[in-house]
Amino acid sequence: MKRRDFIKDMAVGSLLLKFHPSLLAQKKNFPDLAWIQGDSPSLITREALSSLGGMKRFVSRGDVVVVKPNIGWDRTPELAACTNPDVVKTLVELCLDAGAKEVKVMDNPCNPAQRTYVRSGISEAAKEAGAKVLFPNRHRLKKMALNGEWLKEWDVYTDFVEADKIINVPIAKTHSLSRLTMGMKNWLGAVGGNRNQLHQKLDQAMIDLASFFQPCLTVLDGYRILIRNGPQGGRVSDTKLHKTVVAGVDYVAVDAAGATFFDLGPQEFPYLRVAHQKGFGEIDLEKLIIEKRTL
Amino acid sequence: MKKERSKKYRVIQALRILSQSIFFILFFYLLLVTHFPGEDYIGRVEIFFHFDPLLAIATFIASRAFFTSFALAASTVVLTFVLGRVACGWVCPLGSIHQFFSFIFKKSKLLKPKKNGDNRTAWKYYLLIFILVGTLFSLDLVGIFDPLSLLYRSFVASILPALNLGFSAFIGLLYQMNISSLGDSLVQFFENLAVNSVFRQGFFLGMLFIGILLLNLSRERYWCRYLCPLGAFLGLISRWNVMKLKIDPKKCIDCWLCTIHCQTQARPYPEEDWKSSECIYCYTCSAICPTSAVSFPVKSTPEEIVRVNLSRRKLIFTTLLGIAAIPFFRLSPSTRRASPKLIRPPGALPEKKFLQKCVKCGECMKACPTNGLQPALSEAGPEGIWTPILVPKIGYCEYYCSLCSQVCPTGAIQELTVQEKTKIKIGLAWVNKNTCIPYNLGTPCIVCEEHCPTSPKAIKLVKTEVKLPDGTIKTPVAPVINTDLCIGCGICEAKCPVVDEPAIYVTSVGETRSETNQLLLDIIKEEEGLF
Repeated sequence: MKRRDFIKDMAVGSLLLKFHPSLLAQKKNFPDLAWIQGDSPSLITREALSSLGGMKRFVSRGDVVVVKPNIGWDRTPELAACTNPDVVKTLVELCLDAGAKEVKVMDNPCNPAQRTYVRSGISEAAKEAGAKVLFPNRHRLKKMALNGEWLKEWDVYTDFVEADKIINVPIAKTHSLSRLTMGMKNWLGAVGGNRNQLHQKLDQAMIDLASFFQPCLTVLDGYRILIRNGPQGGRVSDTKLHKTVVAGVDYVAVDAAGATFFDLGPQEFPYLRVAHQKGFGEIDLEKLIIEKRTL
Repeated sequence: MKKERSKKYRVIQALRILSQSIFFILFFYLLLVTHFPGEDYIGRVEIFFHFDPLLAIATFIASRAFFTSFALAASTVVLTFVLGRVACGWVCPLGSIHQFFSFIFKKSKLLKPKKNGDNRTAWKYYLLIFILVGTLFSLDLVGIFDPLSLLYRSFVASILPALNLGFSAFIGLLYQMNISSLGDSLVQFFENLAVNSVFRQGFFLGMLFIGILLLNLSRERYWCRYLCPLGAFLGLISRWNVMKLKIDPKKCIDCWLCTIHCQTQARPYPEEDWKSSECIYCYTCSAICPTSAVSFPVKSTPEEIVRVNLSRRKLIFTTLLGIAAIPFFRLSPSTRRASPKLIRPPGALPEKKFLQKCVKCGECMKACPTNGLQPALSEAGPEGIWTPILVPKIGYCEYYCSLCSQVCPTGAIQELTVQEKTKIKIGLAWVNKNTCIPYNLGTPCIVCEEHCPTSPKAIKLVKTEVKLPDGTIKTPVAPVINTDLCIGCGICEAKCPVVDEPAIYVTSVGETRSETNQLLLDIIKEEEGLF
């Protein structure tokens, strides 16, 4: 190639790139939310992830990933008080397949962890998939600057902060204060301290915590949802088989989608409205690209 | 004459130490695994207690009812009948601890074994009489002095918590030195052990236990030799003692070593002084004898057992003292009114029956997954000291758990399935509107309701008018209790964010086990609408 040609090509190339930068990038049009229904909790989870472009989009080779389910209560899976163990298990598998170095599964539960981890079925399921299932370790609690609107600092388990990626896997349940507990409320399980006092301004606490933790992915388990007596339930009749999983990067949008499981509009939730106003995410489902499918 | 210690008896002595170690490890292992096993039902982790004939007989007399698991104690009775007090020397874990510390104290010259005997060996027999006299009148004090109860309780309520604290500090140090990977694995290991680390009388029970260990500075196996009522009981029922001490007069050099080092003051030398009812067959005498003069040949002919001299005068005095002491143990305000803090574990028998059976061992406190079961101090009166009560400020009663009822060795807490347990009320919760956050500040707080485990919830959130200091009125939702649904588990009290004195608390009224400690008469509930 002549020097003149080279310079000419360079000039043309850089001009082209300036006005069409997408030329170099691969064309990727992922939906905002994957909304999958089906009979198998693990299959719908798998499908949701592939709709979003596969786990490799979120987890890179060598990452340490923390998967945060809701393991809050001493309840078995059919009572829908904790995240479905198969959903957790599938996510762990996908993370490891995507090349994660280590996947940790942990929560700071309300009942003793020794019981909730076992009776929720999550401990066994996650271990089978190859995760490290860890009891919350108070030596790893550290007062951290959350810089939230209300919560300036709070005790946080450093496992979450030190991880390369965090995946939030809440379950959709009723709750007497926030009305529903889903993704953003789930972060109360990643902190220590006297977190029961957070209920005095729960909506604000949820927003502050969610914007601090910034999960790379939120997978809302709506396989069996709790429609009464939340957040613990206690009877199978308090639950409803909904057979749905909603996943997305925008954690506000995921919670907004979850509200519809209970025939409620996202606008009815102050915490969602405020989170939206602050620019943390979208709550108008019309404005979102949603890939909805039934298996 | 050839001076040589007997090889055979040194081997037997080694075997005895091995046996003691095995049984101690077994005891400790069963103690450590007494926690939520990952499923609803735990095996017979309390089995050690069932081999204890003193507990068997005392609870049998006190409660006038035989608990079938105690059938195992018959094996100890037969063993002792035939062989003498081998259980003390080869099995008893508390005895092993005492022997271990006696050995340490002796080696470090803190304890100088003495040649002379004394009459104090009789104490334990008087203590036994004192206890048994009480049981005739349904006063069950055996748990205070029984060696297994004493050991288990001390370990659960003070030794393990203290160790836990020590390890925790050590782990904290590891993190400070940035050895966090080791810290992490240690934390996960200890979490799996689920040691209950907070006990109200931890210091007191610990000092008592250490005090008893320090008695070994005065005499070897002080507890076993002077105080242990189980040892006394086994001494009384030993009959045959197949292995009988024999001192070869040709070899004996009158050195007194055997008697000086006798663990329990059975006085092997001179031979005619040997008290077979005191001998625990530790074989120290035969192993220590410099000329192998002391042996224990098997002689199957029954011979008279030589016992400790108990004066008839003192026996009568102890009996009378025992009878006189009974009313003192029952001086308690609870005879007037049920004690509000006397919240018994689910499945506990009615109070009177419960006190006749509970041996204060602490099994239930070890099994409790929330650390809520605590040794009572005065709540149950003097006779109920160290019996289990739920202290919801520390821990609550886990809804789907019936472990305490499963591990109770005497049936003082009736064994329940998890399903049965969820139906039992152990008390009722009350809201203290003076301190409850919504009732005072008009600020939302639903923590008690959120944690309430029943379905439907026993705590309802009801809109309430609250007057604030500036005269404005707020209408937050505030907790109101449905006493029909409330089971008194106390999770509301345990989790209440009012940090110092929870604004919701449980009292014992309404407990299923009591006919009288009730809020409403059934008849009123049924005939609602008449008035």
